[in-house]
Amino acid sequence: MIKTLLFNHQEKRQLVIAFIGSLLGVSFLITSIHYLSKINDYGKESEILGKNTLIIQKKVTSASSFNLTKTDFSPNEISKMKLEPFISDVKPVVSNNFRVWFETNDPYVPTFKSDVFIQAVSKEFLDVKSNNWHWKEGEKFVPMIMPRDFLVMLNTFMNASGIPQVSDELAMKLKFRLRISDGLKEEWVDTRIIGFTNEISSILVPENFMDYATRKYANGNPGKITQIMVAGKEGQFGKLEKYMNDHGLESKNAQVIVSRLKSIVGTLFGVILVISIVTVVASGLVLIQYMQLLLSHNKYEVRTLLRIGMHPDKISRTFFFYFIRVFGAVLVIGFTVFGLLKYFVDEMFQTGGIYLSKSISIYAFAAILLTFIIFALSSFRTAKKEVFSLFNK
Amino acid sequence: MKIEFCKVIPKPLAEILHNEQSLWGSNVIFESGKKILLNAASGKGKTTFVHTLMGLRSDFSGEIIIDGKNSKSLNTDDWVRLRQSKIASVYQDLQLFPHLTVEENFKIKAELTGSFNSNSALDNLDYLGLADKWNQRCGLLSMGQQQRVAIIRSLMQPFEVLVMDEPFSHLDQTNTELCIKLINDRCDELKAGFILTTLDARKDLVFDYEVKL
Repeated sequence: MIKTLLFNHQEKRQLVIAFIGSLLGVSFLITSIHYLSKINDYGKESEILGKNTLIIQKKVTSASSFNLTKTDFSPNEISKMKLEPFISDVKPVVSNNFRVWFETNDPYVPTFKSDVFIQAVSKEFLDVKSNNWHWKEGEKFVPMIMPRDFLVMLNTFMNASGIPQVSDELAMKLKFRLRISDGLKEEWVDTRIIGFTNEISSILVPENFMDYATRKYANGNPGKITQIMVAGKEGQFGKLEKYMNDHGLESKNAQVIVSRLKSIVGTLFGVILVISIVTVVASGLVLIQYMQLLLSHNKYEVRTLLRIGMHPDKISRTFFFYFIRVFGAVLVIGFTVFGLLKYFVDEMFQTGGIYLSKSISIYAFAAILLTFIIFALSSFRTAKKEVFSLFNK
Repeated sequence: MKIEFCKVIPKPLAEILHNEQSLWGSNVIFESGKKILLNAASGKGKTTFVHTLMGLRSDFSGEIIIDGKNSKSLNTDDWVRLRQSKIASVYQDLQLFPHLTVEENFKIKAELTGSFNSNSALDNLDYLGLADKWNQRCGLLSMGQQQRVAIIRSLMQPFEVLVMDEPFSHLDQTNTELCIKLINDRCDELKAGFILTTLDARKDLVFDYEVKL
C-alpha cells in the first residue's frame, strides 16, 4: 500500500532518462574495463619480460662497424635514462664474457652441440612463474629460458637425424649441459629448460650463475653492456619510442609492435573507461537526484505517514529498495548489453588477428559490484537523510 | 497515561499576554482516561498545542512530560511507539492521502498496528453515512466527509489518549452527534480519554473538565 502511495503518481520521464543514461554508462564501463584487462593480458603467456619492458640496443651503423661510434652503454647513459619521467627503471643485460657450449645430455636424443651466447637479466624485469628460476653454487641444475627459435633449430636437427621432433613440454624434460671455459680451464654444468620466449634471442640464465661464471672464467673482465632493459611507465610507450628514435636506439620489432598495439588500444579503452565512469557517476547522480525529487514530491505523504505513526526507517527503506531495484535492473541489462558488445568486438579483434581469451574479466564483475555498492550506499544515505529531515515536522 | 505541561510557552505565542487560567505558562496535568475540552478563540494556539503535544514542534520553553519523560528527550522509536499505540490524533488538516481510496487510507493506518478489520471499518463508515464511499478517493470527498473518515481512521488504532483538533468544524449537528457517540464508545472500550480542541463551548459533548488557552 505504501508503494502505491509513494510511487504510483510519479512523473517517470526523468526516471527513464536517468535509467537510459545509467544503462549506457554501465554497459560501456563493463566493456571498457573488460577489454582493458584483456588487452593488458594479451600475449602474456609467451612473455617473460615484465609489463611495458623492452630490451634495447644501439642501432648498428656503418660508423659503428668501423668502431667510430660506440654500441655499448656507459654508466652515465644508463643513469640519464633513469631520470626520464616516462621510464620507471633501467638495468643492464649481462652477457657472457667467457666461452659457452651447449649440448644435449640425454640417452633418448642424439648428441647435439653448439656454441651459444647466454645472458642474465635482473629478476625484477622477468615475469617467470616457475619456482625453479634460481641458482646457487652447489645446486645440481642451472635453469634456462630458451629462445623459441632455438627449439625450432633443435627440431630441424632432430628431423634431419630421423628422430621425432620434441614439443615444449618434452624439451623441458630433456637433460642438457653447458660447458663454460676461459680457454685454459673448463667446467660442465647440467641444465634444464624451464620455459621459452619469443622476446629474447639468447639463452637466459639466473644472475647468480652468470656472476659465478664471470668471476671464475672471465678473467676479471666484466664485459661491455650492449643491451639494456627498460621498463616504461603505463600508457607512455609513445614517449619511450620517440626517445629511442631520437637517441639511435632500437628494440626487437615484434616487441615494439605488440607494445605499440597494446598502448594504442589500451589508451583507447582508457578514454572510453573515463567517459564511462563520468557517465555512470552523472547518471547515478541523476537517479539520486530523482529520489530527492520524488521525496520532495511526496513530502506531504511522507510527513503524514510519520505523523500517523510510521517509522522513518520503514519509509526510507521503501525508497531505498525501490531505487536498488531500478539500479539492479540497470546492471542486469547493462551486463546483457556488454555480452552482445563483447560478441561483436571479439569478432572484430579476431578478424584483425588478435585472439583474446573468451572468459569475462574478473575486473568487469568487480566493476559491477563496486558500482552497485557505491550506488547502494549513496541512495541509502540520501533516503535516510531526506526522510528523517521530515520527522517531527 | 499522564501528560504534564510545565510552564510551556511556544515561541510564536511568547509575546502574547496569557491570562492566569491559560495552559500557556502554567502547570497543567492531563489525567489518564479523562475527557478534556480545550476551548479557545482563534489564534490562542489550539493547533500549536496539538503539534507541540504530538512532537511536531519543539520551539517552546518549559517542559512537556509524557509518562515521566521530557518530550525533548524522546527519541525516534519513542515517538513512533507513542503515535502507534498511545496517542491517536485527528489533525485540523485531517492528514488523509487524497490519491488513495477510503479503504486504502484505512489499510495504511492498519499496517502500522496490524489492527485492520474491514468489517468494523465498514460498519463505522456506514454508521456515519459514508458506506458508499469505501472505494472513493479521499481527495474527491467533501471536507465533512473527510473529517468523518479521519475520525474513523484515528479510532482504528489502540490508544490511551485521542487528541483532536477541531474535528467537527465541517459537520452538521446530526453528524457531530454521531461522531461524538462513536468516539465515546471507542474511548470507553479502551478505557481511554480524549483532548478535544474547539472554538466554542460544546453543549453536545460530555467531558470531565475544561482547559483554557
